[in-house]
Amino acid sequence: MRRLLGGVTLVGLLAGFVMGFGIAPRETTQGNVQRIMYLHVPSVWVAYLAFGVVLVASIAYLVRRAESADRLAHASAEVGVLFTGLTIATGSIWGKPTWGTWWTWDARLTSVSILFIMYLGYLLLRGMIDDRERGARFAAVLGIVAAFNIPLVHFSVYWWRTLHQPPSLMKPGPGTMPGIIVAALLVNFAAFTLLYVYFVTRRARLLRLETEAEA
Amino acid sequence: MPDNWGFVLAAYGLAAIVLIAYWRFLFRREKELEDAAAIRRDLRQPSRAAELGQPQPNPASRRPSP
Repeated sequence: MRRLLGGVTLVGLLAGFVMGFGIAPRETTQGNVQRIMYLHVPSVWVAYLAFGVVLVASIAYLVRRAESADRLAHASAEVGVLFTGLTIATGSIWGKPTWGTWWTWDARLTSVSILFIMYLGYLLLRGMIDDRERGARFAAVLGIVAAFNIPLVHFSVYWWRTLHQPPSLMKPGPGTMPGIIVAALLVNFAAFTLLYVYFVTRRARLLRLETEAEA
Repeated sequence: MPDNWGFVLAAYGLAAIVLIAYWRFLFRREKELEDAAAIRRDLRQPSRAAELGQPQPNPASRRPSP
């Protein structure tokens, strides 16, 4: 099953790459550097998804005290931090040729950095507390509190004046992008979602094996 | 506007390195833990351990659980 999921994910990522570089046209204003979007936007989508799963799994853990929920929250937070880091790095690389700077203390960039640091803190907190049950409980509370930052990140471009452009896809109302670019983006969204599921299932299994080894 | 292919390459190259490194970490750690679990299983089955020529745990050397 894992191999099948891994294979489908790899095919999805290759399809996304072909769509982004072979099918989608060169953007007229930014040129080919706009193709970073097919990596940057799906990465932030996975980060939102991962931290949303942390929220749900943390609530489930506090209600039912199921270790599987705790493992899911832990695995999802780790993958979310990985993809948030990728989002920040690829955004910075994209920002240099388009904005003329690697970094600016813009509302979107600052809020996403806070999100990254909060979930990094979540992972550090888990590692710092020896008592597994206590660590899981504290982490669950932090996992719920930190999730309030997700809408702040997403709507920061509406609430403050920012250099970062407003969302092109994850917004209400009709889109403004050409259909072929949207199609390439959606294929990459699907591929990155599969990659998220693949990483989280493997990481959660690893956490179970680690618990069994310690027992 | 120039195409800036170098930036595109940097972004995709960085992502590929990070994602492959994470996948390798998961794969290697999982293999380590599975191997350790297999050895533990074998040690719990003395006849199987003897068959494999592996040392059997000495119950006297076990520390009492707290």
